[in-house]
Amino acid sequence: MRHAKIKILLALLAPALAWAGPNPRLLLPDFTALAQKASQAVTITLDPGLLSLAARFLDGNDPQDAATKEVIKGLQGIYVRSYSFDQDLAYRQEDIDAVRKQLAAPGWNRLVETHSKKTHANVDIYIMVDNNQAIGLAVIASEPRQFTIVNIVGAIDLQKLHRLEGQFGVPKLDIDAPKTAH
Amino acid sequence: MGNPQALTALVLAHQRSVYSLALRMLGLKDLAEDLAQDVFMQLNSNLQSIESSEHLGFWLRRVTAFKAIDQLRRRARLPTTSLDEEAHQYADTDASDPLLQTHLARLLDCLSPQARAVMLLRYQEDLDPTDIARTLDMPINTVKSHLKRSLQIMRQKTPGAHLARPEDYST
Amino acid sequence: MSEDLESQLRTALRPIAPSAALEKKLIACVTAKAPLAPPVAGRRGRLGFHPRARWLSLGVAACLLLALGIQHRLQERHERENGLEARRQVLQALRMTSQKLDLAYEIVKSQSTSLADENPGA
Repeated sequence: MRHAKIKILLALLAPALAWAGPNPRLLLPDFTALAQKASQAVTITLDPGLLSLAARFLDGNDPQDAATKEVIKGLQGIYVRSYSFDQDLAYRQEDIDAVRKQLAAPGWNRLVETHSKKTHANVDIYIMVDNNQAIGLAVIASEPRQFTIVNIVGAIDLQKLHRLEGQFGVPKLDIDAPKTAH
Repeated sequence: MGNPQALTALVLAHQRSVYSLALRMLGLKDLAEDLAQDVFMQLNSNLQSIESSEHLGFWLRRVTAFKAIDQLRRRARLPTTSLDEEAHQYADTDASDPLLQTHLARLLDCLSPQARAVMLLRYQEDLDPTDIARTLDMPINTVKSHLKRSLQIMRQKTPGAHLARPEDYST
Repeated sequence: MSEDLESQLRTALRPIAPSAALEKKLIACVTAKAPLAPPVAGRRGRLGFHPRARWLSLGVAACLLLALGIQHRLQERHERENGLEARRQVLQALRMTSQKLDLAYEIVKSQSTSLADENPGA
């Protein structure tokens, strides 16, 4: 009976134990109410099962699909929340700050913090590194009428992601992928 | 109605309408092809209930729209209007102005499934609001609201455009 | 002079012809035949089974097979729908990530340019 209880406890704890070290998965707020006010909303939640399913339907003969398959190979999750509004400041900064607070936790390194005075756009990019390998990426981008939060969990290869830009019709940038910060 | 030739003629007469409706509702060729086959399979089981060719057109549009709306609801997502999205698969590549075509077709993605269906029945199928209301089991005022709001959105997102004035669909 | 976009909308939403392959499939969907025809009454089969009973059991078996086949097909289709949707979401998510990385780069670049303009020869 005791052994059975221990087994059950271990099974329940398995997800947490899988990230015995720092956890690159962010807890994203429930933006349901905000989504109703938004003029456009994107909610993407791809866990390992869905990523694996998607990989089966990516065509290895298509360059974009093949490159995408490479990028998602080592990933455990992709989470996106993106909302656009018809008016300025339709969302609360506290909602974004709740996510930013998590990025102050040990393990996360801020790669880039940018602010545009012209467009009032902010983009912060964070990376989590373990054993010299990126195991998580977080991007928070906000503008007066739009914000986007991206959380990628798993072995993200920024160089492969960077190479993918050209495939999406986004102009390929003439920069090297950022080196991991310490 | 059981004659294979007659049935083949029936498909040839209506396949463009069904397929285009499915494609523009769902946005993906593969899903649209599956949906179109679903619709015609269902027609096979319901041939006895079809009273006339006019009824057939009504039935096909209605079933296609309902199945597409149902599928979109199950996807449980809201549409995005990012204009940097992958090229939509439902632009007519033979069009004289493919950029405008793509732009207008993409704007459909901004709309809710019901509004999208209303717009397609209006501008693809050329139905008037009364027929749209009958097809979708929707009050006519709701149809007019969808048309008005959808045109407003399209007007905002197409600079220099002069769409049918939303007042034309005032309830 | 503004163009009539309502007519352009009609042009943009002209029905699109499906592929020849799809056309064949659609015709097959509509012309698919029903299961076995009913038996001739009054005759007995070689093993003493009433031919009607034999036909009925064959009919039931055919229906079961058809139902299983349809079930399997529906499951396959459902999985395919989910798979294609997952693929679409992956592409969209990665595209959005790339766009935001690009935005960050643009902001940094424009700030570097402004600094260079303010401090020429530095």
